[in-house]
Amino acid sequence: MKSKLMRSVSPIISGIVLLTGLSLSVMAQAELFETTLENGLQVVVKQDTRAPIVVHQIWYKVGANYEPNGLTGVSHMLEHMMFKGTDSVEPGQFSKRVSQMGGRENAFTSANYTAYFQVVGTQHLEEVMTLESDRMANLSLTNKQFQPERNVVKQERLWSVEDRPSSKLFEQFKATAYLSSPERNPVIGWMKDIENYELQDLKDWYRQWYAPNNATLVVVGDVDPQTVVKLAQKTYGVYPPRTINPPKSQFELEQQGQRRFELKDATPVPNIIMGYHAPSLVTAQDLQEVYALAVLASVLDGDDSARLTQSLVRDQKIASSIGAFYRSTGRLGAQFLFSAQPQAEVDIETLEAAILAEIERLQNEPIQPAELARVLAQAEAQYVYQQDSIQSQANSIGSMVSVGLPADTMQHWVENLRSVTPEQIQAVAKKVLHADNLTVGILRPSGETNRKPTPKPEFSGRMH
Amino acid sequence: MKKIMHVLVFAIGSIVFSLSQASIDIQTWQTAKGVKVLFVEAPQLPMVDIEVSFDAGSARDASQPGLANLTSALLSAGTKQKDEQQISIGFNNLGAQFGGQASRDSASFNLRSLTRENLLSPALDLFAEVLAQPTFPKAIFERDQARLIQALKQREEQPNQVASLAFWQALYADHPYAHPTAGNIESVQAIKPRDLKAFYQRYYVAKNAQVSIVGAIDRKQAEQIAEHLTRSLKTGEPAPALLTPKPLQTAQTEVVDFSSAQTHYMLGQLGVERGHPDYYALFLGNHLLGGSGFGSLLVEEVREKRGLVYSVYSYFAPMRVAGPWLIGLSTQNSQALEADQVVKQTLQDFMTDFSDEKLTDIKSNLIGGWPLRLDSNSKILGYISMIGFYDLPLDYLDAFPRHIEALTKQDVLDAWQRHIQADKMLTLMVGQPE
Repeated sequence: MKSKLMRSVSPIISGIVLLTGLSLSVMAQAELFETTLENGLQVVVKQDTRAPIVVHQIWYKVGANYEPNGLTGVSHMLEHMMFKGTDSVEPGQFSKRVSQMGGRENAFTSANYTAYFQVVGTQHLEEVMTLESDRMANLSLTNKQFQPERNVVKQERLWSVEDRPSSKLFEQFKATAYLSSPERNPVIGWMKDIENYELQDLKDWYRQWYAPNNATLVVVGDVDPQTVVKLAQKTYGVYPPRTINPPKSQFELEQQGQRRFELKDATPVPNIIMGYHAPSLVTAQDLQEVYALAVLASVLDGDDSARLTQSLVRDQKIASSIGAFYRSTGRLGAQFLFSAQPQAEVDIETLEAAILAEIERLQNEPIQPAELARVLAQAEAQYVYQQDSIQSQANSIGSMVSVGLPADTMQHWVENLRSVTPEQIQAVAKKVLHADNLTVGILRPSGETNRKPTPKPEFSGRMH
Repeated sequence: MKKIMHVLVFAIGSIVFSLSQASIDIQTWQTAKGVKVLFVEAPQLPMVDIEVSFDAGSARDASQPGLANLTSALLSAGTKQKDEQQISIGFNNLGAQFGGQASRDSASFNLRSLTRENLLSPALDLFAEVLAQPTFPKAIFERDQARLIQALKQREEQPNQVASLAFWQALYADHPYAHPTAGNIESVQAIKPRDLKAFYQRYYVAKNAQVSIVGAIDRKQAEQIAEHLTRSLKTGEPAPALLTPKPLQTAQTEVVDFSSAQTHYMLGQLGVERGHPDYYALFLGNHLLGGSGFGSLLVEEVREKRGLVYSVYSYFAPMRVAGPWLIGLSTQNSQALEADQVVKQTLQDFMTDFSDEKLTDIKSNLIGGWPLRLDSNSKILGYISMIGFYDLPLDYLDAFPRHIEALTKQDVLDAWQRHIQADKMLTLMVGQPE
């Protein structure tokens, strides 16, 4: 529910990164309005007058890759506790007010940030800003509220990871690909860490990161930017900045050779994840490599006529499903990922070899002009399609600013993709998709089944 | 707190204002072939969304569960002129998005395109070709059949999926809603390409079709688009009426012994069909019970007070004939029986009475939140497609908040008493509940 979006936010964001971009000749691009309040709160506003509503978001620069060992998931646990009231607002009261307004609200945590949002009629903006700024500074953290909520988070982990072999595979993949960087942390946290949190851990985490000068306010909708600024001064503006000690610079050991691991579970179908350490918009020495990797990901998997589907699913009939992913906005770098399931009767090693053959093809031959043209046509169109949702517009802005990138990064995106040449794609494929830079995780059927053999007699005949 | 209460009064005062805001102008007509068209002009973004739907969902599978789904999935696998890859490249080169899906009631196909003439026009040509000339090639059919069977095997190890299958099966018994849209392993294995062709010939016809359009085009363009997409369809016949499903006669409890960390729990019974006059009262009540997230009674009792779950919800799924009403949750096995008790107690308490304040709040939520349901082209498309498909009145969207506003607490309680019978419900648990 709350943080329903937690697990899916990163793919969503990466989709935006891959698919949106530059202002097009076909439409006037609404300007972003940006300012910073005296207390350090960054403010970004985008006007969209199609409906009398507004999305209001506050983004904190803290997430799972800020967390020390033993406290994995604490950002997410704190996100849950943010709904438990403040010195002047009863637990659940904020949610109740949003509900009375007819609004929608939620929050999400990722590796890089923690964000809270409401979508409400424009006339309610001031009230949600009042309530949101209140819990930035005055959160009430009590054991009475914390203990049951910890159990909620445990249930969330059981639901989202423990009973889903492919989620477990991905969690263990990150912990294998990253040895020294906190990028290895699962966003929801390891179960033992969740069980070991103390109230003081949450108080400390809140005091350490929740302050106006560590946050970004994003408002998109039917509202004038100057009005938003005035409201922001009146609400968030009254809270003083606090000293934020940015995390120590954190590095990942250079990988010197392939890593592999296996996971056995009750699944009838195996699964493979392959990932290469890659630069992000934040960490890259040369941004052109990031744009080239983004085009590369689309050439492989931008749509259903892209290479992986065409070659491995349709022509060779080796993969049952396959995808390539490149999240270019990580604070601590990125992985260029492949995830696939073999078709029946195909073993996982054959599938792995076929993926590696596709990678070699990228390294040995320049991509075709037609492929590049299709990627750009899709990126341009996606940019317009994305404007249909005020929330995805706001998400795009907030996720950029929260890792230190310009708010208008996406407005130059297609233009940047357009500058990529086939030679650059080939060069980056050789450099990044390199055998010694690869981590492979394989989920294998354990041979067990979850379903117990004989249904109890009284139920026989009803079950399917 | 004082300040907040002040704003609350203002918020409720604004309900009347909100009512006049959400007005969607739906235009409707029929094509030369007799296909119903629904159209909303949305000039702000240079794009258009088009949905062509048929009364050709899995309720039409007859003895072949999975047939409707495979037919919709393979519609774009080849035409008389183009193969699968030429079709997908054709859409993708234009920046267009094309997709199809089947549900129990319908099969629908969506195109999203920019409105620039040199992009939209070829995208529409391709869409029309796919609708009218599919060939269902054998090799592609066999490949996707194998992929689907693989996915169905995987489904058997996923507790949430197992629960959903068992729930529909137990609730609908021999009604065509009982089986999953994707079918099951044995039935999918038995389907042949010629079955798809026959299904297509019978159901993908003008008299069984509808076109919905939202975008930056005018009425004349919309008329041309609808003609273009339906001109080559065979006239055919509408699908026959579906049988009315029979409610359970006694309470039923089923446990599927499954080694998962959590028990997946569903409690429910038959609900109502689309267009039922009691739907507003049932919907409002359900919104309060478990349909509105943190404001709802189930979340309050099961999650907030006791920390038993991450998610608990309830909903009506009104369909062509009575769809289900259900409450769902998942919780670690050792808490499952406690959760069951709390859910049933919460339902019973709610059906006995609830406070006037809760009625006011939930009305305020629905009415104040109405514009949020209509804030994008894709949401509006979904609504007008539903309005057309289920023959709801054209002013359905404008009238909905007025119906909500007019309901009294007694209306809600009476409707729930008429429809929801605690002594004839299905309780389903997948896991090892304790």
